[in-house]
Parts: sequence; C-alpha cells; structure tokens
Amino acid sequence: MKLTRRDFVKSNAAAAAAVAAGVSLPAIQVANAATADGMDADGIRWDKIACRFCGTGCSVLVGTKGGKMVASQGDPDAPVNKGLNCIKGYFLPKILYGEDRLTQPLLRKKGGKFAKDGKFEPVSWDEAFDVMAEHWKVALKKDMEKNAGQPVDKMTSSVGMFGSGQWTVWEGYAASKLMKAGFRSNNLDPNARHCMASAVGAFMRAFGIDEPMGCYDDLEHADAFVLWGANMAEMHPILWSRLTDTRLTKKDCEVHVLSTYEHRCFELADNGMVFHPQSDLAIANYIANYIIQNKAYNQDFIGKHVNFTQTATDIGYGLRPDHPLEKAAKNAGKGALSKISFEEYAASVAPYTLEKAAEMSGVPAKDLERLAKLYADPNKKVTSYWTMGMNQHTRGVWINGLVYNIHLLMGKISEPGNSPFSLTGQPSACGTAREVGTFCHRLPADLVVANPAHRKFSEQVWKLPEGTLNGKVGYHAVLMHRMLKDSKMNTFWVMCNNNMQAAANLNEESYPGWRNPANFITVSDPYPTVSAMAADLILPTAMWAEKEGAYGNAERRTQFWRQQVKAPGESKSDLWQLMEFAKRFNMEEVWPAELLDKAPEYKGKTLFDILYTNDQVNKFAVQEVKDSQGNVYDNDEMADFGFYPQKGLFEEYRMFNSADNIIKKGHEMAPFDAYHTARGLRWPVIDGKETLWRFREGYDPHVAKGEGVKFYGKPDGKANIISAPFEPAAESPDKEFDLWLCTGRVLEHWHSGSMTNRVPELHRAVPDAVVFMHRNDAKKRKLRDGQMAKLQTRRGELVARVETRGRNRPPEGLVFIPWFDASRLVNKLTLDATDPLSKETDYKKCAVKVIKA
Amino acid sequence: MNICSAIVHAKPEVAGIVQASLEEFAGVQVHGGAEQGKLIVTLEGEGDDALADTMAKFNDVSGVINTVMIYHYCGDEPADMEVMK
Amino acid sequence: MSDSGESKGKGVNRRQFLSQTLKTACGVGLMGMGLGFYARQAESLPAMAIRPPGALPEEDFLGACIRCGLCVRDCPYDILSLGQLGDEVATGTPYFYARTDPCEMCEDIPCVVACPTNALDHELTDINDARMGLAVLVDQETCIAFLGLRCEVCFNICPIRGKAISLEYEHNVRSGKHARFLPVVHSEACTGCGLCEKACILEEAAIKIFPTHMAKGELGRHYRLGWKEKEKAGKSLVTPDVEHRYNLPEGVQYDLQGKGLIVEPEGQQQSPFSSNPLDRLNRGLENQ
Repeated sequence: MKLTRRDFVKSNAAAAAAVAAGVSLPAIQVANAATADGMDADGIRWDKIACRFCGTGCSVLVGTKGGKMVASQGDPDAPVNKGLNCIKGYFLPKILYGEDRLTQPLLRKKGGKFAKDGKFEPVSWDEAFDVMAEHWKVALKKDMEKNAGQPVDKMTSSVGMFGSGQWTVWEGYAASKLMKAGFRSNNLDPNARHCMASAVGAFMRAFGIDEPMGCYDDLEHADAFVLWGANMAEMHPILWSRLTDTRLTKKDCEVHVLSTYEHRCFELADNGMVFHPQSDLAIANYIANYIIQNKAYNQDFIGKHVNFTQTATDIGYGLRPDHPLEKAAKNAGKGALSKISFEEYAASVAPYTLEKAAEMSGVPAKDLERLAKLYADPNKKVTSYWTMGMNQHTRGVWINGLVYNIHLLMGKISEPGNSPFSLTGQPSACGTAREVGTFCHRLPADLVVANPAHRKFSEQVWKLPEGTLNGKVGYHAVLMHRMLKDSKMNTFWVMCNNNMQAAANLNEESYPGWRNPANFITVSDPYPTVSAMAADLILPTAMWAEKEGAYGNAERRTQFWRQQVKAPGESKSDLWQLMEFAKRFNMEEVWPAELLDKAPEYKGKTLFDILYTNDQVNKFAVQEVKDSQGNVYDNDEMADFGFYPQKGLFEEYRMFNSADNIIKKGHEMAPFDAYHTARGLRWPVIDGKETLWRFREGYDPHVAKGEGVKFYGKPDGKANIISAPFEPAAESPDKEFDLWLCTGRVLEHWHSGSMTNRVPELHRAVPDAVVFMHRNDAKKRKLRDGQMAKLQTRRGELVARVETRGRNRPPEGLVFIPWFDASRLVNKLTLDATDPLSKETDYKKCAVKVIKA
Repeated sequence: MNICSAIVHAKPEVAGIVQASLEEFAGVQVHGGAEQGKLIVTLEGEGDDALADTMAKFNDVSGVINTVMIYHYCGDEPADMEVMK
Repeated sequence: MSDSGESKGKGVNRRQFLSQTLKTACGVGLMGMGLGFYARQAESLPAMAIRPPGALPEEDFLGACIRCGLCVRDCPYDILSLGQLGDEVATGTPYFYARTDPCEMCEDIPCVVACPTNALDHELTDINDARMGLAVLVDQETCIAFLGLRCEVCFNICPIRGKAISLEYEHNVRSGKHARFLPVVHSEACTGCGLCEKACILEEAAIKIFPTHMAKGELGRHYRLGWKEKEKAGKSLVTPDVEHRYNLPEGVQYDLQGKGLIVEPEGQQQSPFSSNPLDRLNRGLENQ
C-alpha cells in the first residue's frame, strides 16, 4: 500500500487529539489512518532478517514504511547478538539506498550492437539475455562437439560462473543446478574459495564432514581462547564482545592472540604473540611436540577416536605449472594421506622444540611455552578461533589441520568450551557456498562430482538421466581467471561478489582475462563496482532485503527472511536471473542427442522446464507470505514464476540432506516453514531438535548411546591427526622487495566496500585505505605519518597514506593494508599463489617495497 | 496541505448521530471517542480560513457542546507525496 | 591569567546564551539584532571553533595574531579558515571546525612554523603536546558504544592511540553475555585534534571537542584521591594497618584488602598448573 504524507500527518493529528482528550483510540484504528494492520505506532512494519555482512549471523529487525526500509534495530531475541549490532549492522538499511544503484541492464555497445570495446548503454532484459545467451550457446556448442564420445569424467567446459557466500541458500542451489545439471559444467566456484576453502579442505581431511563441531556457546563455556590469525575484535565484532565478556566475568579466563602484527585483539590479550609470517606451522607443531614430550595427551581419546596420518610434502604453491616454484616442487598439488603410527607422528613433530619454534617465529620462548601449557592442561577448556590468517595461506589446509591435531591429541573437541572453531567471513559461506554445492568439485550436502555414486544420487534427486553430471572437477576461482586469459573459458557470469577487486594479481591475470576479446563477461551487481566496470554486460541485482532469503552462519545456524521492500527500477534477484536465463535454452542446445535419448520426454523442452518445473521446485503454489501478525509480504519471484520457487528449491535441496536414502548423514535440516518462525536453527535438525555440539554422545543424535564420541564423517568413526611440516612461503622479502605485505579488513567496512562505502557515515569514519607500518620502517624510508607512500610488488603498485599510529601495529619488516578501498586496488599487489590443496589464495604474504610517493 | 485535528465534545447519548453529521463535512474524518463523548476529528482543507469556517460550523450541529482545536499542520509539500522518499 | 580567564569565561557564556536563545526563539527577531550583534561577537570564540595547535590563551592570541593568514596557507590539509566579517570568529583569525575538518596533527606542525608572531607558540615542537581543546563524550545516551554496539570509531581513529581515548570493558548486564567497549577520553593526552568528532557516525556527534576550560571539571582544591596519593608516595601516608585476625570456622579465610570472606580456599584444586603442570597430566599412556 501507498503511504502518503497526508495519511501520515492525519494520523499524527488524530493521535495528538486523542491524547489531549484522554481518549484511547484502539492502536490499530490510529494506525489505520496511515498504515496497514500489524504496524507499530510510527506506521513502521517490523520483521526479522539476518545481517547482510559477516559470518557471525546477527539477527536484525528492520522497519519498512511506505515501501522503504527506514529503520533497524538489533534483534533482542536473537541468541547470537541479543539486540546488539556492530557499526556496520547499525547502518544496514542504508546499504540499499546508495545514490548510484544500478537499475537497468547495461551492455557494452558500439553502433547499436554489442562490442567488446564499446561503451555501456542501457538495454532491456530481453536484449541483455539475448546477447548473453548467444555467447553461451556458441561456447556450449563447441563444448558438445569437443566432448562427443568422451566419458563424463573427461568432459571439459568453456562456460563458467563465479558465485558467492552472500547468495541466499536457494540462489546458490539454483546456480549449482543450472551449471552442473543444466550446462553440465563444473566451472562453478564461489568467492568462498578466497575465504573458506582451506577450512573446508581441513574439515574434510580430518573429519570427513564440513563445518565446525562446536557453536557460539563455546564463547561462554571456554576457560581460555586462542586466536590463530583472526582479528575478531574488528571482523567478528559481536562475537568479540561475547568473548571479552567471558574474559571479564570468568575467573582465570585467558586470551592468547597469535598474529603477524599487533591488532585490536591484543588490547585484551593476556598473551599476545607476533610471529614471523608462515611460522605458525612451526608453532602449531611445537605445541603438539610439547604435549607429546610431556605425555600430556589424552591416551584414551586418541586410542579410540583418532588415526595418525602423514600428508604429502613439497607440494608447490598453486601457481601456473610453468612457474619455477611449481617445476621445483616434488609433489605439486598432492594431498594424499598415508597412515602412520603414533611414534612416527611423534617423531615428525620432534624437531619443533621450544627453541626452534621461538627462533623460527620470533616469539619469546616463554610466551610460546605458556600457550603450549594452556593446551596441555587437561583442566582448561580451550576454544581456538581462526579466519583468514590461517585460511589465506599457501599451507592453509595444513595449518588448519595442525590446530585440529592439538585439540585431538588432548581430546579437547566436540564439547562445551573445547572447540577448534573456524569462523567465516561471509554471511552464508557455510549455508550457501559450502552446503549447496557451489564449489567446482562439489554437489549439494558434501557430495562430490568425482564420485560416481554421488553423481548418481544427485541425478536421481534432480530427475536427470544417468550420466548427465560431469565427473571432472571444474575450474576453481584462481584457475578461472587463468583460463579466461588463456581463452579456455569463454563465458563467465559473476554474481554477488566483486572479484575484480578481490582476486589476486589483477594486472597479470584477472583483468587481461576479463577483457580478452574471446570472452563474454557478465556481472550481476547492485552497484557499479570494479567488477562491473570490467564486464561486458551488467545485470542490476535486487539485494538482501529485496528478496526472500536464507543464510547459514558459521555455527551451522540457518536463518530465513521475507522480502521487505521492492528492488529499484528493473533490478531482479539473482534467483530470478538464474531461472529466467534457463528459459533461453532448448534442451537440444545444451545436451547431446545421446543423453536426450535417455530421457526422450525432455526433448523440445527448455532448461527451465527440466530444472525448475520438475514437479519438485514448482511444487508449491502461489501463496500469501504472511507473518504471525498478519503482515503480508511481497515475493516478486513467486509472482513472476507462478509458484513458490524459494520453498520448492529448499525442499528439493532437503532431499540431499534429510531424505531417508541420503548418502552422507549429518546435514539434516528442518522443513522450509520452520525457519520463517525461528531465529535460526543449527543443523543437524532432527525431529525439530537442533544440534549444538557434534560428534558427542548426548549432544549429537548421530552418536549412539555408549559411543561417547564418534567422528561419523569418516567410515571408521575416527578423526585424522595429520602430520605436516613447516614449508616456506611462496614469496618472501628479499633485497629489493624488502617487506612483507599483509592485507585484511577494518571494522567499518566489509570486504570490497561496495556496500559500506555507500553509507556516508562509514565512509567518513574510514574514507581511505592507509598503509600501516612500523615507525622505524617509515623513518628508514624518509616517510612520516600522513605522507603518501608508493607500495610496489613484482606485479603492481599503488599509493596510500602512511599510518604509524593507528589501530594496527605491524612489527618492523611488515606492512598491512586493508583492501576495501576501490580507489586503491590492493589486488594489483597480491600474488596469486594458492594453497595447492584448497586452491585458496594467500593474501597475507608477499614481498613489497615501500618508497616515498 | 492543511490538516488539523480537534476534540468535539458531544453528549455521549447522541455522539453517534453527531459523528455522522460531522462526517458529512468535506475533508472531515472522525477517528473515535464517541463512547466518551469526545470525538477525535481531523479536518483537511485548502486554507486556514476554510478549516476555521468548518470548525465553526461544528458548533451548529445539534448535540455538539464545544470544539477544541488540538493540532494544526500546514506545509508546502504535496499531500500525495510518498513519505520518506 | 585568572583575570583574562574569567573575562573569557563570561564572554563565552554570553555567547552561549545568545546562540541558545536564537535557536529556541525560532528565528523571531533575528533580523532586529543586526550589526550590533556582530560587533560584539568578535570578542570571543564560539565553542565549536577550534584554534590551530599552539594557539596562546584566547585573549593573548587575539592580541598576538596579526591576521596574516600564513598558517592557513601552510596547512597541508586545508583545514584552517579565517574568520570573516559576520562570522562568529574574530575577523582574520584562524580556526577550524572539528566535525568537518579536524587537525591531522602533522609531525612538523607547519602552521606553527609559519606563524610570524608566536600567536601560535613556537615552543610547541611535538604535536602530541598540543592542546587545541579536549574531546568530550557529551552524550552517553546516544553513543552506540554505551548501548553495547560495536563501534569504537573514535578510539580507532585517535592518533594518540590508547592514551587519549581508551576503551573500558564492561559487562553488558542487559544481554548477559556481551561486553560493552566504552570510550573514555584522557585529558592528559588528548590534543583536541577533533578526528574523533569528525569520525563519529551519529547524525550529531556524541563526542565533541570543547575548549579545555569548558570541558574540564575541577575537584575541590582540598580534596585528594587517596589511592593516587598512596601510589605517589609508594606507601601508606599514615601508619600502616595492623595485621588483623578473625574468629573463623575451619577452612574459611578472610582477605581484608581483597576478596573479603573466602569460603572455599584457593588452591583447593591443588593443581597449580604453573609450578609443575605436567606431572599430573599424563593419563593412560604409562598404563599401556
């Protein structure tokens, strides 16, 4: 309904008179003058929604009025944040209303026609999709010819999509289905590749099932906290306030912080340790060694629940195969585990003595020993947290595993307060990127494309003929840009992320790849980001509250919200875009005749018919979306498609995690409608009951009575302790490039800043990225606070102000710069060296030179 | 846009009839209060004079005891403007 | 000093009074005040206009400043303005407004160096010693950090890190499981640069720079802080207390200075892990 100024003034006038007269008009009646039922006295309709930003997953109440989001508050009933927000959450409504919102499709054109070197011009959705589909059809035809007669595990594809841990659950699921089932391409990867891939790899290797065993309640139950490469004070602000509260109120609670530079967490730290980049590998191995040397390990636990293994070593740095470092590596990319004995494991960590670890890390021995004693104390419940410091690491899977080793040796796992906990940076890195199969090697619910049984099960759920799904792992995020540059991938759709600002080595890989004339790049975005600027076609996107959505946070909590407002102009949600694009393809254009012969009823139909009107996704008819107070909400996708796609997609996805015949148990979720009433539910949800700590009898319904602990992701129920040594970083400072460069974030901005930089107050608070450096390093270069410095690496350069007094205090030899600032593209500097196992880029270490600008 | 509100005191036993009479005036809306004999009324009109005239006429309606103006708003913005745009 | 200080104080109060009156009188009569009003106002500085670093006390500054504008010219960040006819600031004198253009605290203080008359005191060579004003958290009811939200923008931006503004952690009683991170300004370190006021994310800043004399309370001259005096002296100022002994049931202690009655004596866990932690940690392996 429309709310006019007249209605508004009238309701105020009537209310004033009623107060003066002492007459109580029924609240609804007053509101009726201006508003519909179920709104508050200000005429504001309130509803719950998950915060748009980090992986904490705060719940927010947002107020809409007159079709616009005008108010917000922390959700007082949300267990995560209890009514609180960080500064970004405080400004949430404003992210929708940046002045430069994109409202119509834009295509590069010259002389009225698409041209790679043309200028962006507004076009209709029809024209946009026509041009886009034309390019995709060319690529698909070429693929079909190339793949003729090939077995599925040899199939290649030249179409690709780069998705997001900020997609809603059903958007990720719909994308996975479109790419993997529809286009038979595994070239689908999320930006979570830059963020959580190392954590995922380590979870699978150690436990055989993804995501943390603990939950945020560990924050109140732990006796001590250890941060391994996480600046929670700024990046997980609400969790940090819970951790701080425990530190304040719990007797003898300790906080240990490990980082390569001093940051805000050191303010609370009882034991703050600044270590040389990459030496975390040595520190973790030292702690394991200490536990073994002092026979502090929990023999009963490791005897029953742990296998000892050794990972392949000298595995390279995930660079292009012709790079000297790759050629020199003996086992480039190898991740195989071989079983070893406890004694062999003990011998493998024995070289990491206290002296050695102190020397390698630069951390005083007494501090390291204090940390080791903490882990080794059976009476102290320890929770370890980490984020990008450990994940964005050329040995990210290893270091994740080394921390699990410590917890497993002590049996400090899967119970309140004892948790190794991998935090996420995106609101739905877990819920979307990881759970619904948007990685290039994955299918929904932890299934993988390379496993024929997993493919077969997925084909059955999706009603596809056998042999539809491609069995070859697709291009991961970093490889995508290399393949674009090499013209091996020719159409690329980027949704819900800003990869041109994120992906490392912009100058040498990303930009040349996107602007390669052989390729057609589509970017779906609400704002003119750096990525949009580098695209050929820009599709305006409905964001966050402008569609019905669901996110899954770091503690396995799935949260839903309803559409609150309409998207501006012609913007459409990613879900609409994905499904609508599928309508452009006849089955004959995407599947070869022999596959269609196996399902003749699919002939002559469109991809949309097969994927989204398969009697599952379109199972739920159009209905009124209503809250318990009777407020009715829009659902633009439901109106457009004539069924309830979000519900249909989610219920079909549930067949992967909750049906009777699922291959991997442990991901069970509640029915769709349950999430619209609850403030999020932590999976596995079985018989309506959430799971707080996994793998532990009593807490986890999958662990039978008498089993105590069972890591049921592995066939024998045992977790892997994985021995891995120290290996050096891909690029270290040398004579010319003489400093370490570490990149990261600040509290006020989120990731590439495309949303937070459009909130004037946040922009004013932190307008520019500055380079944090040690005073002595600045002095040596004749630089003073506030002066402009030029940062140069082998790949590129940028200019930024020097900050020696700020919130981050790097040691001598290291500089830190945040990457939110679109006017200073930090990814021109960063190296695209990746963890060869997780394919996640190491954004924390490369060599840089700093000079006066 | 010119809007004001007023309390119209009326004998409770005839307040219902008074309400109906008031609502016949152009731009007048009654929001409640009949039970207590205090009708909560809003008026909308083109100028201050028009509103004052209308309000004066309330006193001619049989059953009305008194009219008290409570709130007056006049602004330049168009009344049909959507709020918060 | 006391004389000039008092007259300055009066001036500011009158200024405040006038501007308050103006605001609340809805503009009525504004025109009538005319030029006579302007003429008087140059005597004193409005509270929100801040002088550059090193500025002498206001009365002296107005005497020493020759309105040359060199400091304005040499400010690399262009934050300084000169009072113009009709401004609330004395015509031709330099000032800045923290909310829009705070002092960036250049290490070489070019504005002071440029001043030909010592109106900006050349004795000031370390910008950290500047006292342009004092940041005051004027409104705890709207400061979102006091409400428990994670903001701390003022703390993060403060160039005298951790000293001019520190954070005090406090248990959030309402939520029960979060901490509040409360910004606290320390006058012994705050230069009054105003970066915090500019960065404050509220529509109207909750932290503002005030002239120091307006911002600071003053303890009664007779009163000392006992704990500080003791710290200064390094011992009790009077005869130390005797050792107290109490009638107590077995196993109960009384800690006079600290925790009071202790029913469960400490160390009952008999674990002091720190002394020789690992003796007791070895479980199981030897049994094999």
